[in-house]
Amino acid sequence: MGLSLACLVALFLLLPIVIVVPMSFSTAISFEFPPPGYSLGYYAKFFTSEEWLEPTLNSLVIALGATALTMLLVVPAAFGYVRYRFRGKALVNLLMMAPLIVPHVVSALAYYGFLGRARLTGTHLGVIVAHGVLAVPVAFLVISATLKGFDRNLERAAMSSGAGPLRTFFHVTLPVLRPGMLVGALFAFLSSFNEAVVVIFIGGRGAATLPKKMYESIRLESDPVIAVVSTLLVSAVVLGVLVSAFLRPRGANAA
Amino acid sequence: MTAYLSLRNIVKSYDGRVNAVDNVSIDIAKGEFLTFLGPSGSGKTTTLMMIAGFEAPSAGAIELEGEDLTRRKPYERNIGVVFQNYALFPHMTVERNVAFPLRMRRFPRNREAARVREILDLVGLGPFAGKHPRELSGGQQQRVALARGLVFNPDVLLLDEPLGALDKSLREQMQVELKRIQREVGITTVYVTHDQTEAMTMSDRIAVFSHGKLEQVAPPLDVYHRPRTRFVGEFIGDSNIFAGTVDESQPGCVTLEALGPMRVDVEAWRRVGKGAVDVLVRPERVQLAAPGAEPALLNRLVMEIGVIVNYGDSVLLIGSARGQRLRMRIAGAQPDAIREGATVIVGWRPGDEHLIARS
Ligand SMILES: Nc1ncnc2c1ncn2[C@@H]1O[C@H](COP(=O)(O)OP(=O)(O)OP(=O)(O)O)[C@@H](O)[C@H]1O
Ligand SMILES: [Mg+2]
Repeated sequence: MGLSLACLVALFLLLPIVIVVPMSFSTAISFEFPPPGYSLGYYAKFFTSEEWLEPTLNSLVIALGATALTMLLVVPAAFGYVRYRFRGKALVNLLMMAPLIVPHVVSALAYYGFLGRARLTGTHLGVIVAHGVLAVPVAFLVISATLKGFDRNLERAAMSSGAGPLRTFFHVTLPVLRPGMLVGALFAFLSSFNEAVVVIFIGGRGAATLPKKMYESIRLESDPVIAVVSTLLVSAVVLGVLVSAFLRPRGANAA
Repeated sequence: MTAYLSLRNIVKSYDGRVNAVDNVSIDIAKGEFLTFLGPSGSGKTTTLMMIAGFEAPSAGAIELEGEDLTRRKPYERNIGVVFQNYALFPHMTVERNVAFPLRMRRFPRNREAARVREILDLVGLGPFAGKHPRELSGGQQQRVALARGLVFNPDVLLLDEPLGALDKSLREQMQVELKRIQREVGITTVYVTHDQTEAMTMSDRIAVFSHGKLEQVAPPLDVYHRPRTRFVGEFIGDSNIFAGTVDESQPGCVTLEALGPMRVDVEAWRRVGKGAVDVLVRPERVQLAAPGAEPALLNRLVMEIGVIVNYGDSVLLIGSARGQRLRMRIAGAQPDAIREGATVIVGWRPGDEHLIARS
């Protein structure tokens, strides 16, 4: 019973991929399923047209920048949150989760107003700021969980070995936490790379990312290159999840 | 005894209200193996963490060879620590774990490898130098932790329940091993455990903790035979403790509640003087009196046997005499006359007991 339900859910989740991936190898001039024939034509088109490569580059730059910003915000916050007792701790946790609770459209509107006034709409920096903040909850969850599992006796052992606070951090704390940090960063990266709503509002022409370009393309021309992009995005996510699954078990068992 | 490591009136309160450690003073000699023994939450770990420098005392001072350590950071002290959960660095090999204190303490690089090898051989882990901690068994990991704690020739070695996570036979093997290494290195050691057998077999002296206070600091046999307080007598080993009063008019006589007058060691009787006493009689000192009783067995009781616990090499009788709980232990096999529900005459000689003055 449970198993068949799980299979049903998996099928439901996989169905779009099952349809999109074959279409990316299609020879049809528009969306058509099942494809009349197979070729790499649309892949060739994707990798040679400026129109698609530029948003790809934008996406990468913005996702990297957003990841850096997220980590800058989240790592110190997670250390403070996990290691110290203070008043209003529950409130801090709620605040860190806020971007997850507020609907993206609402965030998008708010960013549109706020970044517009700062003349940052349509710039990489503007989107980086928005995406950096949006990725805070997922990164905070992953990194604070890693930190909670960290055995403080490791730091004590390092200190009694003669290492001061800095050397303890760089020789012991950071290397042991690194896998968890990487997973957090990876999630932040993917969250920006896949984000469509906010970027449609604030990306403009100057900072159009892949999801934004796809959205526009599907409205205007239903170009099957979108199937190629979708396939590539899904592959990136799968790769990311595989990498994070590989990273997980080593850092976690420090206790 | 000249003090090497001294704790002077150490107090520690985490919350400002309750004292987790309450006015503890101990002098530890160079090369001594001192064990902190006490129930859970009695302040053993907290005291150890203050010696290591991970927690600051709320009051009091810690001195090493007359030098005040109290305000020094852990990394400015020369103290090795071994934790119950090993706390090995998971991203380093055994070799790197052990070399870590040498690197941090600027030990000459050209002698590092030789020193690491030497200490790994001492703990019997030479062949495992290249492995990661997760590839080792619990006992092996604890040896690595020990090597890491010893490699830089610390002044003092602290161990917090280092064998707590090991199974019984490995534990006993490690006790012997640990004691051998401690003797060989001659290092001053403070050891935390709540296993009393471990404390008895390994220590030069035992410090018994209860509710953050020191109950007694003495060699194992003293703690066992001459506990300073009722708590120590009950906590360590099996015991019969009878409440009584000193009979001032008759030398060597104490009147026990319900059981009546008993003969005790005259010297001890004199030292206690007068007033209420607790009389401790270890179960193995209680003997069967009949028949053909030993004339020296002056203190006799009629015991009703409730439960018999047969250990193979000895038999524990749990019962009562005139409503007082009474336990006795007989070495060897179970005698025929001993059955559950039977009544036997038992007794002990004056001097087999220990008097604890009630304060
Ligand atoms: N970091 C801390 N913050 C607040 N209270 C603490 C802290 N560490 C210990 N305590 C309290 O201090 C008291 C003594 O604890 P401690 O860990 O020293 O006991 P212990 O003798 O080592 O016990 P165990 O045998 O269980 O390890 C306990 O009541 C404990 O709850
Ligand atoms: Mg403890």
